[in-house]
Amino acid sequence: MTCEELRPEYDAYALGIAEDPERGELDAHLARRCDACSRGIAQARSTVAALSGIVESVAPPSGLRRRVLAMVAQDAPAREQKWSLPAWLPWATSVAFAVALAVVVTRPASVAPVNPDVAKLEQALSILNDPVTQDVSFGEPTARGRVFVSPSRGIVFIAAHLPKLDPGKTFQMWVIPAKGNPISAGTFVSAADASAIHLRPGPVTGAAAVAVTVEPAGGSMQPTSTPFIVTKL
Amino acid sequence: MQRGHNSRYSLGYPMILLPGLILALELSETNDEVLVRALQRRESQAMADSYDRFGRVVFSVVLGVVRDRVIAEDLTQETFLRAWNRAAGFDAVKGALGPWLLAIARNRAIDHVRSVSGRMDRNSFEFDAREHPSLFVDMEREVINKDHARVLRGAMAKLNQNHRQVIELAYYEGLSQSEMAERLSQPLGTIKTWVRAALKTLRDEIGQELAA
Repeated sequence: MTCEELRPEYDAYALGIAEDPERGELDAHLARRCDACSRGIAQARSTVAALSGIVESVAPPSGLRRRVLAMVAQDAPAREQKWSLPAWLPWATSVAFAVALAVVVTRPASVAPVNPDVAKLEQALSILNDPVTQDVSFGEPTARGRVFVSPSRGIVFIAAHLPKLDPGKTFQMWVIPAKGNPISAGTFVSAADASAIHLRPGPVTGAAAVAVTVEPAGGSMQPTSTPFIVTKL
Repeated sequence: MQRGHNSRYSLGYPMILLPGLILALELSETNDEVLVRALQRRESQAMADSYDRFGRVVFSVVLGVVRDRVIAEDLTQETFLRAWNRAAGFDAVKGALGPWLLAIARNRAIDHVRSVSGRMDRNSFEFDAREHPSLFVDMEREVINKDHARVLRGAMAKLNQNHRQVIELAYYEGLSQSEMAERLSQPLGTIKTWVRAALKTLRDEIGQELAA
């Protein structure tokens, strides 16, 4: 399609509601740095940004600023750490405590060679401390929680309000690549209060999403049920 | 407005000098370029400033879509964390920080609504590609302010019901034009016409305000 033919679609594209074939055509025009379409889409993106004005302005809760800053403070350059320490300390402490607690709850029955709880805690904190770790929250109707994904160190999955498992069933986490089949990221069960923390150490390459399904005890090679949590990265 | 220094961040004058006044002045003067460069240096003060400038509008947009304060808080936090982690790809000179943050925020919120309603489709995965920081360049940066919001709300009120409805379905629910056609039992061509006409009207109103 020509730029002239695509021009009426600029706004819909910027708004995220355009469909193929126009959407694909515009993707292609932008990929080859088409001047006319790039300018048009930039203007349309300005319009979409301005549409935020139609939303009722609501003040965020006061604690949200602290939460946002706590998430980044641990990753700031060393010269800033002195004054930022008090902001992130409570958050880090609570996460460490939660992880430690979960490690105790979910540790396997088999005896590992040396202090497995400490090793798992260290692995989990290593993932949380990785500057490039992605932190994605989810709030499905049946569960709420967060997933921390470090490309080089692994995944920490934290959830509450998990559905009750039938006898002989287990939760199984999956790494969904951009292309190809899901890759198992281990099985876990929930605690008595329907919460769980699951750790999958090791590199995570090419992940587009993390999902959780209910599988037969012992897990499956591929998902046998529809994921009830899908968290895109 | 271009500033001659970046004192809030790593190279500035001592903050012990009238810190309150300096803080107030710099909050109002910090421009996108200074802010983005500080974000790219991973200075947490830059995140604080970003939040102070855009936190309210980001939270409002997310809340307007998800209608749940707890989820809106989580998604707002995720929005700023994404910006923090991806600021390296942002063009500090040409980039428009506010529109980028709002795009991330709205995408996260609509993704959430879609996942809850079982409407996950390929659009969801493509949102990520369409919020890449390199795309938010050469844009009008001053579109996000109270005056323009007032103008826009006035323009929305003047739209006819059909035009207003498609804008709301698109902005708050992220419905594709086909989905809107099905929801409103209208031909796809009619929906496209309504969307174009409504957005043109709104853009013209904003444009007049910007030109004024």
